Amino acid sequence: MTLLSVRNLRVSFDTEAGLVEAVRGVSFDLGRERLGIVGESGSGKTMTGRSVLRLIRPPGKIEADAMHFDGADLMAASEAEMRALRGRRMAMVMQDPKYSLNPVMNVGAQLTEGLRQRDRLSAGDARRKAIDALEAVQIRDPERVLSAYPHELSGGMGQRVMIAMMLIPSPDLLIADEPTSALDVTVQAEVLSILDGLVRDRGMGLIFISHDLRLVARFCDRVLVMYKGRVVEELAARDLMQARHPYTQGLLNCLPRIGGSRGPLPGLDRNAEWAR
Amino acid sequence: MIEIDNLSVIFHANHRLVRAVEGVSLSIAARESFGLVGESGSGKSTILRAVCGLAPITGGQIRIAGEPVLTPRGRAFSRRVQMVFQDPYASLHPRHTIDRVLSEPLAIHGIGDTDRKVMRALEDVGLPTSFRFRYPHQLSGGQRQRVAIARALMLEPAVLLLDEPTSALDASVQAETLNLLSRLREERGLTFLMVSHDLAVIDHMCDRILVMQHGRAVEELDRADLVNVTMKTDYARSLFNASADRML
Ligand SMILES: Nc1ncnc2c1ncn2[C@@H]1O[C@H](COP(=O)(O)OP(=O)(O)OP(=O)(O)O)[C@@H](O)[C@H]1O
Ligand SMILES: Nc1ncnc2c1ncn2[C@@H]1O[C@H](COP(=O)(O)OP(=O)(O)OP(=O)(O)O)[C@@H](O)[C@H]1O
Ligand SMILES: [Mg+2]
Ligand SMILES: [Mg+2]
Repeated sequence: MTLLSVRNLRVSFDTEAGLVEAVRGVSFDLGRERLGIVGESGSGKTMTGRSVLRLIRPPGKIEADAMHFDGADLMAASEAEMRALRGRRMAMVMQDPKYSLNPVMNVGAQLTEGLRQRDRLSAGDARRKAIDALEAVQIRDPERVLSAYPHELSGGMGQRVMIAMMLIPSPDLLIADEPTSALDVTVQAEVLSILDGLVRDRGMGLIFISHDLRLVARFCDRVLVMYKGRVVEELAARDLMQARHPYTQGLLNCLPRIGGSRGPLPGLDRNAEWAR
Repeated sequence: MIEIDNLSVIFHANHRLVRAVEGVSLSIAARESFGLVGESGSGKSTILRAVCGLAPITGGQIRIAGEPVLTPRGRAFSRRVQMVFQDPYASLHPRHTIDRVLSEPLAIHGIGDTDRKVMRALEDVGLPTSFRFRYPHQLSGGQRQRVAIARALMLEPAVLLLDEPTSALDASVQAETLNLLSRLREERGLTFLMVSHDLAVIDHMCDRILVMQHGRAVEELDRADLVNVTMKTDYARSLFNASADRML
């Protein structure tokens, strides 16, 4: 069943230095599955994710032939309708977690705000839910972290707080932008298994944006490969390591390996044709 | 070049003591590249920040080139030691253009030839020179991280403290950045203290590695230990196993 469908999405910024076309005609469908988006820095992954929530600030402009989420027309929805969808039904874990958290509010207040206002939980119940959510993402000392401010968290702790916050309302669609890039491999495995459980057991749809090709190959069902604002290849995640497109192959070849040579890593020879 | 003896860092936050680093020692020779890995929240960034004077040294001592660090660190320190922060957005001033971000260190230290140096720095990290007049929010995550690396290189320091320098970068830019860092280390004889959770990156870049968990040093490894899987502690082994699993 299709949860999200995007047709010919375009995002552009009119800057002093000229028009920047960040996304140029992206189309995809998402079911209750794990869809990976990979691609080099600046290829438009974040802007694609933010567009779905209509979180592009002016002068950025979103255009699409169609963008539907579970029956709702995202291009036609009013700002109030979008606000009602965000958080509750669709959520995004931002790439810059510490920047996206409110710097002058402690973590506990940020985690419980929605529970108190939207779900009308008592302070005690909300606090218990927040502690559970932090424990689930392997935070060692949840009591302390609840009273901490974002600048008192490590990089990976900020990332996990952000994930906990987005998962508390049980969204139907989660867009996770580099959600585990600051996590050590063992904590990362725990966080991925939580996301996996939500897709399998609750039927959540997950867009998993990452530059970690090996991780995406192992964790996702399907992958979109982006280059200069376009999808250049779409394939089953298990086939990613045998990708056909020279760009995807090039990305794979640049990765260092444990025990590999210490000479310069191969670069990527970009071809203007790929951006067509 | 960098010696850390029995370092402890305790934060006071909301009437609690947070023991972020407890009794960690390490010693890095000039031109060596040393890696810090371990659990999220184990104190890796705090060690780098303590070297730069951005976290309190509660106990122990830090020496650079044999001299205990001064508080405040001062200008001579910042010409010798530069840090690339984990969080590229927070470390770039949101209202300063990239041009200003890169030229400011030169202005503070009274170094001329700004234009050429700024262009050169952008080229070194693989960004188009037209990005000079953009603001940080007009860049993608990986582009911001490259600006942060370029800024750290402006003063041509001898020591670079690199906190997850490539975790926001895709494979191709990571390769370019690691190649750039290796080349600079070779050409300028730099010393690196580098944090990464990616053991393949650490293995590619570092001669020795310290594994951390919960504020403490668990085990020091050299590159052969990593390649031959001869770590002694369960924690170090579990980290390796979880990442070896990724080598599809
Ligand atoms: N406000 C803006 N003004 C102008 N250009 C912008 C703006 N925001 C983003 N861009 C440009 O849009 C392009 C796509 O950015 P996006 O953040 O989607 O990249 P990304 O694929 O997420 O990259 P990364 O992996 O580095 O996070 C980039 O080239 C970026 O410089
Ligand atoms: N200013 C601060 N005030 C209070 N506690 C702090 C402060 N800075 C860091 N901490 C705490 O110190 C501990 C170590 O943090 P640090 O950032 O060094 O971890 P890290 O090893 O770099 O983790 P990550 O891999 O997630 O970035 C964490 O528990 C963190 O919450
Ligand atoms: Mg991005
Ligand atoms: Mg850190």
